[in-house]
Amino acid sequence: MSKTERAAKNKSMWQSFKVFLKSIKGYRIPITIAVILTIGSAILGLFIPKILGDMTTIAVNSYPELDWPALGSKAILAIALFCGSAALNYAQAFILAVVSAKYTKEMRERILDKIFRLPISYFDKHQYGDTLSRMSNDVDVLTTSMSQEIADVSLSLTTLIGVMIIMLTISVPLSLIVFLVVPISVVVVARIMHYAQKFFREQQSTLGVLNSEIEEDYAGSIVIKSNSYEDDALVEFDKINEKLTNVARKAQVFSSLSFPVTHIFTNLGYVGVCALGGIFVVQGQISIGDIQAFIQYVSRFNRPITEIASTTSTLQSLLAASERIFEFLNEPEEEPDAEPAKTIDKVKGEVEFHHVNFGYLPDTPIIRDFSVKIKPGMKVAIVGPTGAGKTTIINLLMRFYEPDSGYITVDGIPTREMKRADVRKMFGMVLQDTWLFSGTVEENLRYGSLSASLDDIKKAAKASNVNHIIEALPKGYRSMISEDSDNISAGEKQLITIARAMVANPPMMILDEATSNVDTRTEQLIQESFEKLTAGRTSFVIAHRLSTIRNSDLILVMRDGAVVEQGNHDELLKLGGFYAELYNSQFAEG
Amino acid sequence: MLKLFRFLRPYWWQVVILVLATALQVYTVLRLPALMADIINNGIVPGDNNFIWMAGFKMIGLAIISAIGSLISSYFAARIGTSYARDIRRAVFEKVINLNLLDLKEFSTASLLTRTTNDVTQVQMVTIMLLSIMLRAPLFLVISVIMAIQTAPDMSWIIIVGAVAIIGSAIMIMALVMPKFKIFQELIDKVTLVTRENLTGLRVVRAFDNEKVEKKKFVKNNDALTKLLIYIDKVLELQNPMVNIIFNGTTLLCFWVGITLLSKDFAYLGNMTAFAQYVTHVMMSFLMMSLIFVTLPRANVSAHRINNVLATKEKINWRDKTNGVPDKTPSVEFKNVDFYYPEASEKVLNDISFKAEAGQTTAFIGSTGSGKSTLINLVPRFYEATSGEILVNGLSVKEYDKKDLIKRIGFVPQRGMLFAGSVKSNIKFGAPNASDEQMHKAARIAQAENFIERLPQKYNSHIAQGGSNVSGGQKQRLSIARAICKNPEIFIFDDAFSALDMKTDARLREALKDVTESAVVLIVAQRVSTIKDADQIVVLNNGHVVGKGKHLELLNDCSIYQEIVKSQLSDKEYSAELKLAAKTVKRRANE
Repeated sequence: MSKTERAAKNKSMWQSFKVFLKSIKGYRIPITIAVILTIGSAILGLFIPKILGDMTTIAVNSYPELDWPALGSKAILAIALFCGSAALNYAQAFILAVVSAKYTKEMRERILDKIFRLPISYFDKHQYGDTLSRMSNDVDVLTTSMSQEIADVSLSLTTLIGVMIIMLTISVPLSLIVFLVVPISVVVVARIMHYAQKFFREQQSTLGVLNSEIEEDYAGSIVIKSNSYEDDALVEFDKINEKLTNVARKAQVFSSLSFPVTHIFTNLGYVGVCALGGIFVVQGQISIGDIQAFIQYVSRFNRPITEIASTTSTLQSLLAASERIFEFLNEPEEEPDAEPAKTIDKVKGEVEFHHVNFGYLPDTPIIRDFSVKIKPGMKVAIVGPTGAGKTTIINLLMRFYEPDSGYITVDGIPTREMKRADVRKMFGMVLQDTWLFSGTVEENLRYGSLSASLDDIKKAAKASNVNHIIEALPKGYRSMISEDSDNISAGEKQLITIARAMVANPPMMILDEATSNVDTRTEQLIQESFEKLTAGRTSFVIAHRLSTIRNSDLILVMRDGAVVEQGNHDELLKLGGFYAELYNSQFAEG
Repeated sequence: MLKLFRFLRPYWWQVVILVLATALQVYTVLRLPALMADIINNGIVPGDNNFIWMAGFKMIGLAIISAIGSLISSYFAARIGTSYARDIRRAVFEKVINLNLLDLKEFSTASLLTRTTNDVTQVQMVTIMLLSIMLRAPLFLVISVIMAIQTAPDMSWIIIVGAVAIIGSAIMIMALVMPKFKIFQELIDKVTLVTRENLTGLRVVRAFDNEKVEKKKFVKNNDALTKLLIYIDKVLELQNPMVNIIFNGTTLLCFWVGITLLSKDFAYLGNMTAFAQYVTHVMMSFLMMSLIFVTLPRANVSAHRINNVLATKEKINWRDKTNGVPDKTPSVEFKNVDFYYPEASEKVLNDISFKAEAGQTTAFIGSTGSGKSTLINLVPRFYEATSGEILVNGLSVKEYDKKDLIKRIGFVPQRGMLFAGSVKSNIKFGAPNASDEQMHKAARIAQAENFIERLPQKYNSHIAQGGSNVSGGQKQRLSIARAICKNPEIFIFDDAFSALDMKTDARLREALKDVTESAVVLIVAQRVSTIKDADQIVVLNNGHVVGKGKHLELLNDCSIYQEIVKSQLSDKEYSAELKLAAKTVKRRANE
């Protein structure tokens, strides 16, 4: 990594840290209280070894007539201290638990709101899994490392400073031994961890390589089998697997080295304190109780240092998570609706494209100067080979995307001057890619019109030929379904979405004909309900069947993302262009 | 998890070294407090500086030995853990790659991928943890108890008090929290589900303007989740303060009891300090061991998922050597073949019989679910027929060695699938020894030559993982070229032409005639135009053969075939075709 790159990275990390700090601003009071409680709890805990040591000293000095009242009061003080410390500790943990739970909840809601406000284009470019993992994994990492960090840093710092002060008051030379040994161990461990980190990163990237290798082999298993490639695939796999194992081993060895290394230094310090302290006691420089206490402090000195050293990695994952979350939250949103927005009282269904230009990428326009007038009640078929961009028209009609220039009107009113929600409600949409949410059939059907009665719903289901299918389910309209439920077939799912559109009863329709994943009988049922659905309504159909296309009033022919021809069947055939070619090649003689 | 431990067997001697090294390390560490007590009792109290120095050096020696033990055990834990993971990963991969398609159907590709990578990593992590921390804890426990009793037998009852307190508190917290974890997982799943649905159904949600409804659903689950989370945290956070009280309390108890015993024996002065440390170690060991209950269930889920794959029995057994002599002239014949999926009640294929001869094209058509894809998957034995016989070159597929059968077949699947590498490596995938000329010819026939020549490095051009840098049609043409390059006796096209536009489709089929003169060609198709010229068309409906013959014959007498043709033609064209069919059939009958 070059210097400038590193600087840029640091800057962006610092930036995301600032954004993160801003987001927890609302919780600053409880967080401050938690920090104070932590410090209090640490301070109370600090005195316990000292008191225990004092007890020994009292016992030794008053031996053989033990001074029970003095010992008793010390013991009671010790109990009071560690109970108090534990109580403060719990209070702190309690506050942080509530804070982090509330913060998690808030972040999740913000992300969901953001999902609703982002333009569709964002999700066409990004994978769902990515957004989902920002909401679950990243939020989890952020909140757990946040509360951990707050508690750890304040506890470690207090303990560290407190232990140092107490050690120095007991014995300066003994303290020096500890101050010399422990930091060396921390530096050595930090060095080792640095190497381990390097190997861990390498392990991660090798794992990535292995992952894509396996994914490819599993996805293409039919090709591997039909070419007897299994043995070669295994040899290739072995190579990467061996490499991964080597790197993983190094990462593991290095990271587990930190434990014995810390240990040897701690033990050396311990031995030094025991031996030298013993001599000091013999010489009468310090009391025997103090030496006991000191040994306990040595073991407490170690932990806060390693803890503080480990905060960098926690902090890094915190920053990485917050960067991913706030990057998502800062994505540009859909432009706000026009204000005041125009409305149409009674939609007649006259749709017109006025010189529309559009492209998904700025430098590759795919719809150029497209104009067409669609009279109320017309059936419009959109045809073209797969991948020709037939859904682009739908995206523009529904305002999932906005034209780069030009505009679309409904009954003479530009849709861009209306509210998006109002535009979308004018159209019923039945896509090949059916979408049902998990819930009952009834709830799914009511999705388009929340006030619909059960009778309305049943009427629509009957009209869409799906009533008998629903009634045949174990719980009828109360049956649970979802996108991946297998109690109903893909074709039946599409019938349900047709019924859903019928319940909503919109003035215009957008339909997507199923291509192949439906059996012949269901396809007939769908065809019938499509006809009912489009009767008397302006409708746009992404058509695959020649019968549908021929019965349309207007055909839009798409090729490579652009509308290349428009007209009805006979006109287009006469034109002798792409449509004619497409049509004739279907049944070209010879 | 236990089942997977069989993979540790090759490393048994390393495990032995690991256990010995760990024991050495634990023992030496635990000797230190005893020496410390010695320093107090025999050095400080009598004021013997020499003794203190001697004990000091002894302690340094022990510390170094302990460090060496610790290094050895850490190294072996890492070594065993990673080797173990490597072996499991390899076993899973080998299993998956050799399973037949029917068995693979039970798992999705994504889930198999997780099982091979993430799940193994999880198991590796826990195994290393078991080998280091979990192995150390019981050793610490046993040795500490022994040494504690040796140092101060009168105080040994304190160990029991400490242990009971620690175990009791852990059990109490578990009892309060455990039942909630299941509900917790369910709520998390619900929140994820609602989010996922909003992502996949974004267009629908927006089309119906139902963002508010969805938000309400989400908030309801999110609130419930938050409430439960706070409850669980409230209980879990009790652990830390409770452990602190118990640790401090036990130490205080040791000192108090030690001091009262001072009048009996002044040696308790040193012993009680050592004893307090042993008790702390005992309690720490219990805490460590309680970690097992947290980590093991998670690793168990992963281990279970891995075992599921490893335990899948291969349902198809191949012969090691082809048993019998296949004919020189290729042919494929089905004799009364039935097929159904295990545990399914309905047959996918019912009493299928036909014969496909060399030099002829046999096509299969029918609606989705008619069984045509299943049928051709039976030829390379991707699936196994439930009953009946399938003959390739006159010999039952069951008599073939796997490689011997596969090398005769050029199979083009529905979806064009490529592998990372070059254009060349992809075309020569099934025939690594093919000449470049053969490769060029295959590309030419597959109508792929044009676009390959236009690539910057022609045949050496890079193909990205899964072929993501070429278009769908190009992928399909390359995968057709791959099959041609193998120069097989039997071509199988599983709906391979649908992704091509009709012109390319026609040109490709024309060019194919060159190499299929003496080969069997089996084609599954959707478009009537693709199969119109076939020598034999088999019409399938719900797993039955409902028609067999040429295009015009079938038009004349097969109603299902008529339906299919009708849906793809205009009424006028359809009636013209029908007339032509009737005329031709009549003419033939007259001849």
